[in-house]
Parts: sequence; C-alpha cells; structure tokens
Amino acid sequence: MSNLFGLVLNGLSLGAIYALIALGFVMIFKATHVLNFAHGSVLLLGAYVVGVTNDALGFWPALLLGIVVAALAAVVIDVVIMRRVRAADLGTLAILTLGVDVLMVTELTRRLGTATLTTGAPWGTSTVDVLGSSIPLSRVIAALVTAVVVGVLWALFQFTNWGIAMRAAAADGGTAELMGIRLNRVAASAWGVAGALAAVAGIFLTSFPSPGISPTVGLVALAAIPAWVLGGFDSFPGAVVGGLIIGVVTTLSAGYQGDLTFLGRDLAQVTPYAVMLLVLLIRPSGLFGTKEVARV
Amino acid sequence: MSRPPTTRRVRTLAIIAVVLVALALPLTLRAFWLQSGLFAMAAVISAIGLTLLVGRSGQLSLGHAFFVAIGAYGYCYLAGDPSSPLASGLGLPPVLALLGAVLAAGLAGALFSPISGRLRGIYLGLASLGLVFLGQHILFNAVPLTGGYNGRNAEPFSLFGFSFSDGTPEGLTVLGVQFGGLERLWYLGLLLVGVSWWCARNLVRSRPGRALATIRDSEVAAGVMGVNVPRYKAAAFIVSSMYAALGGVLMALVFGRIVPESFGLTMSVDFLVMIVIGGIGSVGGAVVGAALVTLLPLVLNRYSDLLPLLAQPGSSGISAADLSRIIYGLAIVLILLFAHDGLAGLGRRLGSSFRRNADGPGSPDRPMSDSPTTKELAR
Amino acid sequence: MKRPLVTSVCLMVALAATSCGKAEEQSGGSAGGAAEAVPGVTEDTITLGSLMDLTAVFASNSRSILQGTNLYWDAVNADGGVCDRQVELDVQDHGYDAQTAVSLYQTMSGNVLAIAPVLGSSVITALRPSFQEDNMLVGMAAWTSDVLPDPQFQITGTTYDIETINAIDWLTREHGLTSGDSIGVVYFEGDFGGSSLRGAEYAAEELGLTVVPHQIKPSDTDLSAQVNAMANDGVKAIIVAAASPQTASIASVAASIGLDVPIVGNGPAFTPDLLDTPAGAALEQNFYTATSMAPPSLEEEGVQEFLTAYQAEYPDEEPIQNGAMYGYASSQIIHEVLTRACEEDALTREGLQEALRSITDYESGGTVAGVLDYSDPSVPPTREIYISRADPAAAGGLTAVGDSFVSELAEGYEFTG
Repeated sequence: MSNLFGLVLNGLSLGAIYALIALGFVMIFKATHVLNFAHGSVLLLGAYVVGVTNDALGFWPALLLGIVVAALAAVVIDVVIMRRVRAADLGTLAILTLGVDVLMVTELTRRLGTATLTTGAPWGTSTVDVLGSSIPLSRVIAALVTAVVVGVLWALFQFTNWGIAMRAAAADGGTAELMGIRLNRVAASAWGVAGALAAVAGIFLTSFPSPGISPTVGLVALAAIPAWVLGGFDSFPGAVVGGLIIGVVTTLSAGYQGDLTFLGRDLAQVTPYAVMLLVLLIRPSGLFGTKEVARV
Repeated sequence: MSRPPTTRRVRTLAIIAVVLVALALPLTLRAFWLQSGLFAMAAVISAIGLTLLVGRSGQLSLGHAFFVAIGAYGYCYLAGDPSSPLASGLGLPPVLALLGAVLAAGLAGALFSPISGRLRGIYLGLASLGLVFLGQHILFNAVPLTGGYNGRNAEPFSLFGFSFSDGTPEGLTVLGVQFGGLERLWYLGLLLVGVSWWCARNLVRSRPGRALATIRDSEVAAGVMGVNVPRYKAAAFIVSSMYAALGGVLMALVFGRIVPESFGLTMSVDFLVMIVIGGIGSVGGAVVGAALVTLLPLVLNRYSDLLPLLAQPGSSGISAADLSRIIYGLAIVLILLFAHDGLAGLGRRLGSSFRRNADGPGSPDRPMSDSPTTKELAR
Repeated sequence: MKRPLVTSVCLMVALAATSCGKAEEQSGGSAGGAAEAVPGVTEDTITLGSLMDLTAVFASNSRSILQGTNLYWDAVNADGGVCDRQVELDVQDHGYDAQTAVSLYQTMSGNVLAIAPVLGSSVITALRPSFQEDNMLVGMAAWTSDVLPDPQFQITGTTYDIETINAIDWLTREHGLTSGDSIGVVYFEGDFGGSSLRGAEYAAEELGLTVVPHQIKPSDTDLSAQVNAMANDGVKAIIVAAASPQTASIASVAASIGLDVPIVGNGPAFTPDLLDTPAGAALEQNFYTATSMAPPSLEEEGVQEFLTAYQAEYPDEEPIQNGAMYGYASSQIIHEVLTRACEEDALTREGLQEALRSITDYESGGTVAGVLDYSDPSVPPTREIYISRADPAAAGGLTAVGDSFVSELAEGYEFTG
C-alpha cells in the first residue's frame, strides 16, 4: 500500500507541472484560438537561458531572466507572426506555430550540443518525507508554485481590468472590441503569461529527478496535451485537474507496469491518451470545458 | 462553373503534357529522385484524403498517421508469407492485400466515428491525436502481427505475374534503361495517384461533396436542408481513412520494410503541414504540398553540403543538417504568412491577375471548384 | 496561351537528351565489376558514407562519435592516407527517421566504398535489405546481437547481451550478489534494450537471480516511478540499458530514497557531463559502465594517443566513452580493413568483407577490450569488456576497475540471432 501512496503522491507532484504547461495552452487557446505547437520550445528556451546564465548570475536572477526571455519570446511569436493571420483557420495557425517550433528547437539543439546543462536550482536532489514516502523537494515546490499560480491567475481574472478584458475577449472577441478592449494587447499578454508559465514548468521539469536540460525536454510539453484536452480546452480549473489526473495515471501505469504486461510494455506512454479518449467519448467537451453551442 | 472553351482546351493539353512527362521520367531520373518521387506520391495520396476530410467536411484530424499505418501494416500482413518465422501473414495475392488493407482502414475509420461524429474542430483534432499514440503502442506490442520494434518486410507488389520489384521479368529494359523495382513502382504510383486524384475531384463536385461543404460551413443549416449530418461526417472520415491507407500501402512498397517509429505524431503533423501549405480543401494544393514537404528535407539534406561556410558535423557551427531544418521551418512560416490560404490560394490569385492582364476580366477560373472557406473551422 | 504545353514539350526533350546520364550512372553503380569502377574509390580518395542523427534525439551522441572519427582520419590523412589515398567521410543526417535514411542511402550507396559509422537501430533495420543487396560493409554505432549472423556488419567490441552477462557476473564476484536476489533492468524498447535484457535473463537463470524488467522510451527522463517500484521489489543491483539522461535520473532517485545498490550501464548509458549535474554525487558513489570501449583515461598506449589528440582538438569538451572513443576505435578497425584490402589489391566491396573476415588477432592498443577476431560473423569479435567506475577526476569521467575480462558465463552464451 505504501507503494501506491508513494506513486500517487509522485503522480500528483508531476501533475502539478503538467498543469502549469496545460494552463499555458488554455491561456493561448482562450485568447487567440491557437493550438500552440511552439509551447515546448518556449519551455526549452526558458530552461536553456537559466542553464547558461545561472553560473554567472546565480540561480534566482537567472530564473527571473529565463522567465522574462520565455515570456518575451512568446509575445514576439504572437506579435510578429500570429497577429498577421488572426483570421486564418485552426489548422493553419497550428502549423504556423509548428514552423516556429522547428526553427527554435533546431537552434537550441545546436546550442546545447553534447553537454547536459543544469539549472543549478538550490533544491538539488533533496527529498521530503511525506507520511513515509519520499518525494523530491523540487516536486513539492512545483506543487506549491502551481497552487500559488492558480490562485494568482484566478485573482487576476476576477479583480483586474486585464482579467475582465481577457474574459470578455474570450467570450466574444467582436463585442469586446466594440467595447474598447484592445484584442491584440490582450492576446499578446496571454501569450506572455503562457510563456512565463512554460519557463517555470521548464525549470521543474529539468530539476531532479530529471537529469538536466536536454533537447527532448520540449517534447514533454506535448505530454501535457492530454491534460489540457481532458480538462476542457478553455477551462483553467480543468487544466489543473487534468494535469493532476494525467500525472497520477502516468506514474501509476509506470509503477505497476510489471503487473500489467498483458497490456503491452511501456504502458505509461499511452495511458494518458487512452484516458483522454475515454473522457471525450463520455463528455465531448472535456471535464470542465464549455459546451459548444450551435448558433444559426 | 462553365469555362471558356479556350481555357479548357489549354488545361487539357497541359494535363496531357504533365502526364507524358511523368511517364517518361523513369527513363532519365536517378534512383534517389525516383525513390523520393515515390515517397512523395505516397504522401500525395494520403494528403488528398486529409484535405478532403479537413477542407471539405471541416473535421480536423491529427490521427492520419494511424490510418496510414493500418494501410501499410494491413498490406504487409495480408500479403505476408504465412510461414515466416518473424511476423505472420495470410499470403494473399498483393492486389487483394492492397484492397483489403484499404478496406480495413475504412472499417477503422467507421469504428472511430462515434467519437469523430460528436467532436468538432480542435476537439476532434486532439482526440484523433490519441489514436496515433494508441496505434503506435499496438504496433510496438502486437509482435506476431507487426514484427514489433523491428517492423516487418513488405511483400513486393505483383499483378498477373508481373512483379513490381527487381524480380520477374528479370532484366527488363526499356529504351536502353534497366527497369528495376523503382522504375516499375513509379508507374504503379502514378496510377494510384491518378485514380486518387480523379476520385477526389469527382467526389468534391458530386452531390455528397456539396452536402459535406454545407456541413463544414454550418451543421445546423445542413441538417435543416435535409442532410444526414452524422452519416455524412462518418462517411467523410471513412473515405479519408481509406485514402490514408492507400498511401500507406504505396509507402510500404517503396520502403520494402516498415517500422512502427515512422507512424508517429511527426507523420500526422507532417500531413497537416502538407495540406495547410497547399491550401486546405484544395486537391491540387494537397498534391503540391505533399510533394514539397516530402522532397524539401530529402533534397536539402542531400545537397545542402554543396553550400559553402557550413560547419563540419561534430563541431558546433551550423551544419548542413541544421540548415535544412531551418529552411524547412522558415518555408512553413513564410508561405503561411504571405499566403495563409496556402499555395492553392496564392496560385489562384496569381492566376486570376495573370488572366486579367491577358484576357481582360471575366474569366475567374477557379481550378479547385468551390471556394474553401474554413475560417469557422476553429470556432 | 499554349505556353505550358510548349514548356512541357521542351522539358521532355531536355529530359530525353539527358537520359544517357542515367545509363552511365547505372554502369558505374553496379559494384564489383571492373576495378576502375568501384564506387567511392578514385585515384586519390576513398569515400566512406556515414548516416548519423545530427538533429534529433541522438544528436549529441552522433556529434561525439564524429569527433572521434574525424580525429582519427585527419591523423591518417596527414600521414599519407590509406593505400595512397585520402579517406573522406560523407556524413548525412537522417534525423532518426527511417524514411530519410532510406532516401539518403539511395544516393550515397553509389558513391561510397563502405558505410561507417551508421547510428540508429530502426535505421539499420530499415536499411538491412539494401545493405545486403549492395554487399556493403557497415560499421555499426550499435552493439546489438540481432544483426549477428549477417556478415555485412562490423561490430566494434562485444554485444550488449555479453556486456550485461559479464556485468552481472562481476556483480556476483565484487558486490556479493547471490542466488535468490533480484536485479532491476531498465531498458529501452528495441534492439538495444532487448539485447541487454536477453543477456540479463540468461545470466539470471544461470545464477538463480530474478530479473525485474522496466521498459522505457528515450523521451522518459523522470524514472522515479520505476525506481520506487524497484526499491519495493528489493533489487540488489540495477542494469541500465538506456541513455545518459535515464542513468542520471535512476542514480539520483535511488540515492534520494536510500536505495544504495550498484548501478551498471551498457555503453550508451553514460556521458561525462552527468557528473556535473545534481546526479553527480550519486553516480560517483554507485555507477559503473560495462562495455568493450576503453574508458578514455585508461593507461594504455592507444587510448592515451586518442586522449592527447582529443584534448588538443577539443580542449573544452570531455571525450565520451561510447561516443568519441568509439568513433576513434571503430575507425582503427576500418583502417585495418582498408589496409588489408589494399594489400590484397582488392579495394572493392567484396574485398572489404573478405579483409574484415581475415582479421583474427587485431590488437587495438587498448581502445577496444580483448583481441579482435572477425573470422566468424555469427559471434561478436570479442567477449571481453572493461568495467569502469564514474570518476569526476578522470578524463571522460571514468576510471577502469581492474583489467578487461570475460566471464565463464559469457563464454558459454549462445547467440540466437
């Protein structure tokens, strides 16, 4: 039983990181209706900046720099590229971001070269004992940070002008624009916040128990896609719940792989997608997503 | 949609000329170009299927690689040698295996219709993404059928004893050029592409094609007009899956051996790149897009080392391989920035302005029939 | 308005006119005919093809390997080359995609004498029929026993299964592993992991151990779930048939949950930069590699020669045992093959294969363990390995533990292919 408990705790803490990434997907989708394939490379960029600057600057300033650079990169993608094709359809927008992703990943892979960079995070490889199961300290911090981020985002949405503008733009862009909300500015800020969240997730993803910053880290962002879909595409609580579910499902299927061999090897790769398909079969708009209403 | 007779005649002549050139190419192309061309043909067939689905019925799919895999593996299994110790087969004649593989993909598409019928836009796109991962998991694990990680060989195609490989008739020579497997497959590929193109264009212009276009633009309106929406959507998914599978069969034949790793997310996304660059909904655009996306990396990889100033592999400068990825990424971004309705849209605009200069106004020829407006796809 | 037609006809005529070019290529491409038409060999050059992954998951491995091959051939060329010819490497990037590799090989095959090195097991699998058809000698940057009966392949050192058997045998001798204990095996899907797992299962059966297998993918870098499960199963040692990110994760997670057991990796499981990561301390404590490639710090003439050259050329980087070291060592063997073929005046594809099989007692100067005997294509050229310990002070991050050896267990292992 302690194994199950440990796996679930591990899963929840991993899920917290997925939640951060999924929140970014939701943010960008709500504001600009884009499926952002470049999210992973923004995440990698953030981690990379921290990796190359933490020796000179120290961890915390490097972290700040990484977050700022990732946020700026996301804003630049939106302003320079996506803004020009706002009216294009979903497939076109997604493929545009894919082109950007190819460019960024190629350059970052080349720069990373043969070395594994590390973030130099102060939590190192320490672990925390929670009721007899040990959890990496970095993951505990990730869970706390996610909780704080969700709280802050919620407050921003409820109580600030930016939040109201954001919600109005997501609900009905045309009307919002007529009310004097600058859609482009809202969109750029959403991309920026998503980029910053990706950078934070990137730091945790490249901390212990992962070895460091490698080009494949960007791919992990894709693992958050089932979390995003599961929660419903436009729901912040959905992204968090989806992230946690996918985290737990992943660690459980990895941990109990030995007992589930009849389902095939390396089960943890598919279970998130299987769960996602099941949920979509029952609830086509995900757990918390807005139901699509057909308008005539 | 009637066209002035002169335009029509020119188009017919141009098509005949293109076909003739395509038929003559194996006499002169090197093996690399023949093989790359065949990969492009396989991609063209599958991409036509996807553009019909996305552009004509408004169902975004990221699961195309799954159906391509069913075609490729279906053919290998059905035509495979039953006594092979590595991966079993049924030993059917290759023609039957080809048809069987395409039908199997159609069936798989039908089985997915409870999900595809209920979801729209991005919801369907990402749900179908799940299929790719599930499919790959099966390919890796159903070892007796698929050969597992190492994949399995594809039985060469043959028709009435004529083998589309280096086999019988051996040493076939046409006009002094030896016709081996690639040259022979080239004609099979051309035939399949031709049939796929013809079917797609007829489908688009037929009654079901118009019904699908109505569904794409508004499901409610289509329903009001008496179109059976769920049924048509399922049918579109099935047809697109069958196209995917046909491309998969050709791909398996060109490869000679298929491995599960090929049929992943990258392949699905590449198909989307093809049809988006080509112009969503345009059959001709899908052909151009598929050729471009398939050939560009192969050619760049092969010839970019001719460029000066590139770093040697192993050092840290920009190597030829990096450059080819960068050009690929840039091509996607630039094409879509300057023509976000893809190359088909660009071609249409260039074509009409050219005609306006030449003939004066009055012949807005639209090569790809109905205007593909899919802007509402996302919403 | 008839311009398209005119253009097409012109194009067709042009194509017909150039068709003689194809005929020439074909007669040149058919290997093994007249001596003057051997692909990849001219008056003053020998061209070798290399298919690597320079842009995808194994990019850093490939880059390191090419550092080693470049070092070696540059030195050979500066020394006058082989057979009075300069050796050139035609490196192409397949981006770990079998389709790209098949296409690239198609053009490359007519212009190269042999393929060395080629990386990526799915690539090798996809190209295997073509290699056979072209009679191509292939230097494999992989150590899987799956290719064994095939005479085309040149393996540098022993195979993964033998590495693992020797490693487990060594664990019983040095770390008190006994009958009844269990060992965890974390392995990649595919040839690499499969090979290693086979070896582990054989050794376990012979020694009365239990294997706890965990299959993973190259993109999995957080292995806490697997390590926790292994800790629950009470494993006494862990075999890693994966890449370096997985090794780092396993070592650091194991240390954090107090699972203090030896961790032995196959060749690809270690890169020296891991020692600078937070996993460094855990690796230093418990990590070993088991492979025929020498640790770059080994006090042997051949290895020291390599190390000096490497440090002069790449002062800011560390040589990777399974990367640069392999690239260098495998080039040594290809060099020997070319020299022998040259002596027999048979610098052809067939000649190369014969030359490879004529090698029965090649000593590499320590870069590869043991004496290499390529005469029997159904077994690897040696069954000896080095055990090396992670050591931040040593070049390449590894120090040899004792001499190279082969266990009786490994001697008795039979390859099923």
